[in-house]
Amino acid sequence: MLIQLNQKQIKLQNELQEYFESLITPALKAELNQPEHFEGGGPEFKKAMRTMGSDGWIGLSWKKEFGGKELSPIEQYIFVETVMRTGFPFPFLTTESVGPMIAEHGSEWAKEEIATKILKGELIFGIGYSEPNSGTDLASLQTKAIKQADGYLINGQKMWTSLANFSDYIWLATRTDFEAKNHKGISMFIVPTDDPGFSMSAINTLGDVRTNATFYDNIHVPETHLVGELNQGWSLITSQLNLERLALVNHGPVEELYKDVLKTAQSTKINNDQCLSDLSWVKHNFAKVHSGIEALKLICWKQTWIMESDQLNMAEASVAKVYGSEFFIEAYRLLMEIMGELSILKNDSDLTILNARLERMYRTASILTFGGGTNEVQRDIIAMAGLLMPRTR
Amino acid sequence: MDFSEQSHQTEVRASLDKILREHCSQECLKEYDSNFKHDENLLSLLSSNGYLGLGLNEKYGGSGEDLYDLGILFEQLGYHAAPLSLSGCLVDVAQTIQKFGNEKSCKDILGSIIAGEIYTSAILEPSNQDPENPITTAKIENDQLIISGTKYLSEISSMAKSILISVNSSEGVLLVLVESDKVQLTELSSTANSPIFKVELDSIKVSRESIIHEPGRGLEALRYLIQINMVMRSYIALGVTEKMTSLVAGYTSEREQFGRVIGTFQAVSHRAADCFIELECLRLVNQQASINLNTNLDCENDALVSKIWAGNTCHKISYSAQHLHGGMGVDKDYVLWRYCLLAKECELINGSASQNIDRLGINLTTNQ
Repeated sequence: MLIQLNQKQIKLQNELQEYFESLITPALKAELNQPEHFEGGGPEFKKAMRTMGSDGWIGLSWKKEFGGKELSPIEQYIFVETVMRTGFPFPFLTTESVGPMIAEHGSEWAKEEIATKILKGELIFGIGYSEPNSGTDLASLQTKAIKQADGYLINGQKMWTSLANFSDYIWLATRTDFEAKNHKGISMFIVPTDDPGFSMSAINTLGDVRTNATFYDNIHVPETHLVGELNQGWSLITSQLNLERLALVNHGPVEELYKDVLKTAQSTKINNDQCLSDLSWVKHNFAKVHSGIEALKLICWKQTWIMESDQLNMAEASVAKVYGSEFFIEAYRLLMEIMGELSILKNDSDLTILNARLERMYRTASILTFGGGTNEVQRDIIAMAGLLMPRTR
Repeated sequence: MDFSEQSHQTEVRASLDKILREHCSQECLKEYDSNFKHDENLLSLLSSNGYLGLGLNEKYGGSGEDLYDLGILFEQLGYHAAPLSLSGCLVDVAQTIQKFGNEKSCKDILGSIIAGEIYTSAILEPSNQDPENPITTAKIENDQLIISGTKYLSEISSMAKSILISVNSSEGVLLVLVESDKVQLTELSSTANSPIFKVELDSIKVSRESIIHEPGRGLEALRYLIQINMVMRSYIALGVTEKMTSLVAGYTSEREQFGRVIGTFQAVSHRAADCFIELECLRLVNQQASINLNTNLDCENDALVSKIWAGNTCHKISYSAQHLHGGMGVDKDYVLWRYCLLAKECELINGSASQNIDRLGINLTTNQ
């Protein structure tokens, strides 16, 4: 048993830190501070993505034959951790899950036209899974793709299609067999957002993160836009979601915030002799957050180790998702308690702390307990796969 | 990164499980519910199979210094609610002497511990919140120490040859090995009927040679002792809560109400799933702390994190388990109740979660 990063991994961590320090220019920082660019999509963001593409930093988990780095899950975790600590909205879903899937299962056109451009940092995908009536029960989705002589005709509606407002394509889950059992009739398509049949309406969320309802009205795509075998899309979705869940609960951002709040509390005078961090209840909150982060870090490390050694363990993946998402909410609360009323101030005042990061992060945390597979389903899985209890009804 | 156990560790776990399963049946444990909770036969069985040398160097007859090995032993003792209290002997005395004692005491004492001889420690004091600063004192007169004070929660002290005692003196903190016939012992009756004692030292005289460490290293040794004790007791907590969680899974998978197994109710299975999550967290923080203590004699924050998780996890899983078992959870003919009582001891010995959160908070806000 060895529970620490090795020298090579620490070196990678340092290398990445330095790389991002030079990549994130003041202009990019300023752009990312504007609410409409929290998620990226602006000109500076696009420039940075292309730079990362030409520097070879996109495609960590891709196979070498496609121009990737074929990094192990642990190194990939380090990459995600380091990026997330900087606050750069790296489009992981495009580069790390959709991209490798297209490189491996896509048509010749998709491999040449789409996969290579993702590697160069030139393309962004939105994910089209949920629908108005298909959320947790994703396999019940109803968006249709009907076979035609020269391709497929797509009709339907998706919900929560994040990044669609600046995406080039949607990674779209559709129903292609209406007779088969739910998850056996699903196929994946690459759908261009510049098609006249594509439209969207914005959904503004409590976290000021924009997401979208997207509409697919008689969109015709050629055969080459199908990824994987017809009706075999479910396995592409589930392997993509596994990767997504671990990225969602990465311990980097919360640890970064903990350190920053600690520094702030140590330098905030509350009277002539005392700082905020001298108060015992403040110390208690820090200790609670620290012990929680330690557990989260270890859970994530173990999960990446499990992925590396290919010992798929459903219960452990769900433990990471449930524990991480619920801990974030608790941790942000405890940290906000420390800074008190100051932590509800937004960016426009000289009293604002930490550039209002605490204020923004608590508002974006709530989506994680239901996004990426709701925690009720994860607990069902833990009871079944971890405790061998009977299936819940 | 490697979270897997080495093959010898998996073997140790399996064979300990087999031995303890046999010797800690309901029938066997019943005998100790109202009698002195110490199974001498089981102890000599563990000794003859070499398990008392886990975590000790091969040159003294042990099986290697990896503390994770020792953790497996304590986890198993907890899992089976074994009538053996060995943290004073195998952790406080053996490990501290291994790290801070001279070659001679290592050879003599570790060798006899492996052979089954009992030693113990007396570190905690009533109403002293800070064990690093003992109230018990030693007056140094020439080559003699004159020790006065009161210790408690000392394990199986009546069986012990000597007791390791922490004291304050003009030379700072000292750890002193005192022959047990020099002290006055009073057996205490505790919630899980553990064999624990009050140790009174009334101006007892011992020679300076009874100090187990080099001059000036007493505080360092005591801090190590406290930390490793916290971590190894957290392994007992891990075993105890592991057992309770598996009892929950088993019971709720069989018990039927409203014409169905109650484990199929989401309210029930989710409370069980929460136990599983807590357990996984406790296991991981214990592993990290024990591995770090292998190479670093001072890992206070890791030890505190492990104790904080142990305290909270013992409480949460114990009450979830009692609740999900209904009346069975408190019925003394079923297995669960002993674990619930043990869980309370694990939760409170070495300080509650709240107390250790306080301590960790001080470290985090002042050390950086």
